[in-house]
Amino acid sequence: MTGTGVPAIACRNVWQVFGPNARKALDRALERSGGDVDSAARSLQQSGLIPAVRDASFEVGKGELFVVMGLSGSGKSTILRCIARLIEATSGEIALDGEDIARASKQRLTQLRREKMGMVFQHFGLFPHMTVAENVAYPLKVQGLDRARRRARAQEVISLVGLEGREGAFPRELSGGQRQRVGIARSLAVNPDIWFLDEPFSALDPLIRRQLQDEFLRIQGSLKKSIIFITHDIAEALKLADRIAIMRDGRIVQIGAPADIVLRPADDYVRAFSRDVAKGRHARVASVMQPVAQLAPGPDDPGLRADMTLDAALARCMALYQPVPVHDGQGRVIGAVNPADLAAALQVEEP
Amino acid sequence: MTAPSGQAPAPRVLTPGVRAALIVLLAGALSLALEPAFPWVVTWPAEWTLPATQWVGDGVGWLLGWLKPAARLFSDLLRYPMGWADLALGATPWPVVIGAVTAIGWYLGGLPMAALGFVGLSFVLASGYWSQSMNTLALVAVSVPLALIAGGVIGILANEFPRLKPPVQVVLDVMQTVPTFAYLTPLLILFGFGPVVGLIASAIYAAPPMARNVILGLERIESEIREAAVMSGAGRLRQLFEVEIPSASAQIMVGVNQSLMAALSMVIIAAVIGGFDDIGWEVLLTMRKAQFGQSLLAGLVIVVFAVVIDRMSGALATERRRHDPRIAYGLLGLAVGLAVVFGARLPEASGFDLLAPLADAVDRGLGEFTAANGDWLAGIKNGVMFFVLLPLRIGLDQAVLPFTWGFAWTPAMSGALFAAAALLCLVLVWRGRAMAGLMLLIGAGVLETGIANLPWPFVLVGAAALGWMAGGWRLAALSVGLLSTILLSGLWERALLSLYLSGAAVLACAVLGGLIGLWAALSPTVWRLVRPVCDMLQTIPLFVFLIPVLMFFQIGEFSAFLAICAYAVVPMIRYTRHGLISTPPELLEAAVASGATNWQILRDLRAPWAAPTILLGLNQTILYAFAMLVIAALIGTTGLGQSIYLALGRADVGLGLSAGAAMAILAFISDRLVQGFAAERRRALGL
Repeated sequence: MTGTGVPAIACRNVWQVFGPNARKALDRALERSGGDVDSAARSLQQSGLIPAVRDASFEVGKGELFVVMGLSGSGKSTILRCIARLIEATSGEIALDGEDIARASKQRLTQLRREKMGMVFQHFGLFPHMTVAENVAYPLKVQGLDRARRRARAQEVISLVGLEGREGAFPRELSGGQRQRVGIARSLAVNPDIWFLDEPFSALDPLIRRQLQDEFLRIQGSLKKSIIFITHDIAEALKLADRIAIMRDGRIVQIGAPADIVLRPADDYVRAFSRDVAKGRHARVASVMQPVAQLAPGPDDPGLRADMTLDAALARCMALYQPVPVHDGQGRVIGAVNPADLAAALQVEEP
Repeated sequence: MTAPSGQAPAPRVLTPGVRAALIVLLAGALSLALEPAFPWVVTWPAEWTLPATQWVGDGVGWLLGWLKPAARLFSDLLRYPMGWADLALGATPWPVVIGAVTAIGWYLGGLPMAALGFVGLSFVLASGYWSQSMNTLALVAVSVPLALIAGGVIGILANEFPRLKPPVQVVLDVMQTVPTFAYLTPLLILFGFGPVVGLIASAIYAAPPMARNVILGLERIESEIREAAVMSGAGRLRQLFEVEIPSASAQIMVGVNQSLMAALSMVIIAAVIGGFDDIGWEVLLTMRKAQFGQSLLAGLVIVVFAVVIDRMSGALATERRRHDPRIAYGLLGLAVGLAVVFGARLPEASGFDLLAPLADAVDRGLGEFTAANGDWLAGIKNGVMFFVLLPLRIGLDQAVLPFTWGFAWTPAMSGALFAAAALLCLVLVWRGRAMAGLMLLIGAGVLETGIANLPWPFVLVGAAALGWMAGGWRLAALSVGLLSTILLSGLWERALLSLYLSGAAVLACAVLGGLIGLWAALSPTVWRLVRPVCDMLQTIPLFVFLIPVLMFFQIGEFSAFLAICAYAVVPMIRYTRHGLISTPPELLEAAVASGATNWQILRDLRAPWAAPTILLGLNQTILYAFAMLVIAALIGTTGLGQSIYLALGRADVGLGLSAGAAMAILAFISDRLVQGFAAERRRALGL
């Protein structure tokens, strides 16, 4: 976690159950199962309800880019909507900057949305009857900003996403990539602290997706929002995330840094995901390094650093067989790694 | 199958459908066998009926009496806007009206639409029906805003309060299935004779399409657009009016279009009660005087209005592009300029009678034509009556007479018919098509007995069986319950007569429309020819269909049959073609790659794929047929339509409403049955 103190977003034991009298049914199911999540979920399903999110808990630090990854139907979009309170969570606690959002009044909720939250949608969610500029300025308009200030601020974010010159266009006149730029600009118009992105790049073709991912990282590099980013694409998750939560059937099965997910999958499900991933590009030397008290820098110290990717490290010690030292940023030796371990970590795991 | 013996399991002969058909067959056979001993099996005895008609009359009469003062006040209030609209349209010099319509046409659809408006209104002017047309238009101009506001408010409320939605939708369904004439009787009592009744009736009739489209449009907004508005921090009202309604505007404009057409149609139908010098009245008058040339001319004026209003309001929904408003203002200015410059020297609008010679020529030509071809026309008419309609209505045993068929029907022939049917049935059962065999046997029984003479136990059991197969026990119970109310209210025979005529028309439409649809699906050229005809037939107000059939076949059941067919065939054509051509291309490619011929593809792939769509077309055709049945009562049908029409003449609320309700029940049941079968087909295809 990059921040300190109160997390930007905190979820504790969040359940989202769809169906009649969900709350009561959930309480009863939990009581009967003695708090066991899986058997409670099973009994809910048997009585015709749909437990879409099951006992999810996680925290997102200030300025952290937190990715929730899962296949369709895993509950990843549902939990985002619980946090934004587009739907009411059945039970559990959700806090934004320590403020319990599940108990916020309607007015407070509107205020929070106007000042604190921005959201980007998979299919853009652009208002078809408004121009690019009007779409981007709409959140400012509902805040009651006057026209001149609206226009100035809208222009700022439109430039940020590189859409200058298209202000007067209607959504239907834009390409998919351009539409999502409008969606991003609109979500940033009020300069929110918390940024929700619901599969923002999934509807785009691969080249445009890559381009927008890079721009997204650039924007995030300067704005440092606290982000929940939903995706079903493991490569996207590994590329963008500070930390990743992997969801399956409504449960969070693993939370960890990209390298953890790749090198230390919590179960077969996560392992299946990371099997096709080029691990060498996502895992760092630090993840296979062993702490060593002393190891004199030998004549052929390849100069490994803890934050190097495995690919880069391996390229430097192709011909070495002895453990080699690993340095930190200041050049101090903080551990050692056996080149054979580097290669072993890259092995595609057999099922 | 993993049966160790490797044998395929024996096909189940007694599928639920076959069992249901067997029960129906048994009920029919029992009824026929018991008929001589117990005549009440066929004719529901009069002493068993409840005086429901009278109760409805008294109850509603009491309610209406209660509402009357408020209604009269309302109608007095409505006289003001109507007076204004009348004044505005009647007193405005005709060049300005034509100029304004042309200008609107330009703005909405460019040159073609402007030309349509100009030519259309010029035709109206030339016909000499200008002032009557403006009266009609004034009624539409007042009733449509009322309908749009009412429909819009209902639609928005149903959207805001989800609990309201199901009941609202039921009410909308009922309002659209209750025949138009049935509305008029209670309104007549409430508001008295006069144009206000037409106005209110058309507002009531035009509101449901608007409400329906508002609901549909709001439902269909992408959830992300809705969520984006919420996340922008907009309050509920702002979400609704700044985001949701504008996003749904295309669908809402479809509602405006349908609402306009419904209002126009109803205003013209309402002319039946008279009291207003409008174009519908003109059609009715000339039709009664057998001045078909004039009647046709007035009918064409209605068609022109329908087409102009439909195309222009349709452009609101489909065309996003608007044309240069400066040219529109220019056109309007030109028209105003003309009116000012020529002022009083403009000829009186109603003075134009340029087309009167044409009307006379039509009359003369028609006279000569019918004189020359009378035998041939009468041949068609009698042929269809004697060999199709009458047997369907009263059964072969009564319809086959020396006078019609050249011989009399004997019990031996009945026996032979049943024996042949039974034999064919056995062959079919033996070949594993038990359902088809049983249906054949039931069909033979119906043909022998005649729809109007069907024993009521058989109809009830049949409806239950169909309901059970289409939608389970609940639909079966609902069908039987609703039909029983008709039986108890003493409207049973009339209901069967209505069922027979609409059934015959639906059958004809299904065959004819199915074939045309198939042909249009196979040949784009045919579709290019058929499509404008379909468009036209759907735009024309119901009333106008009566004119041409009357011209050639006079008053009578055959004319009514033709009018119903002409109106109801359109959905069958459209849906059949649409179903057949919308087979997914990858399925077709897979079939071609497997080496299927065109015919095989049509039979094995396109037809099953199209089945649910074609069933929906059939459903529409049934509803259209019921709607037209009541209008066709004007030119001589028996059954419920006639009762409704008579009730209107006698201001008999009880009869009008009961017969209207019976009609709505028939339409409702057939709608649910066909929808049920269509849903089942869709499920079977995994759609």
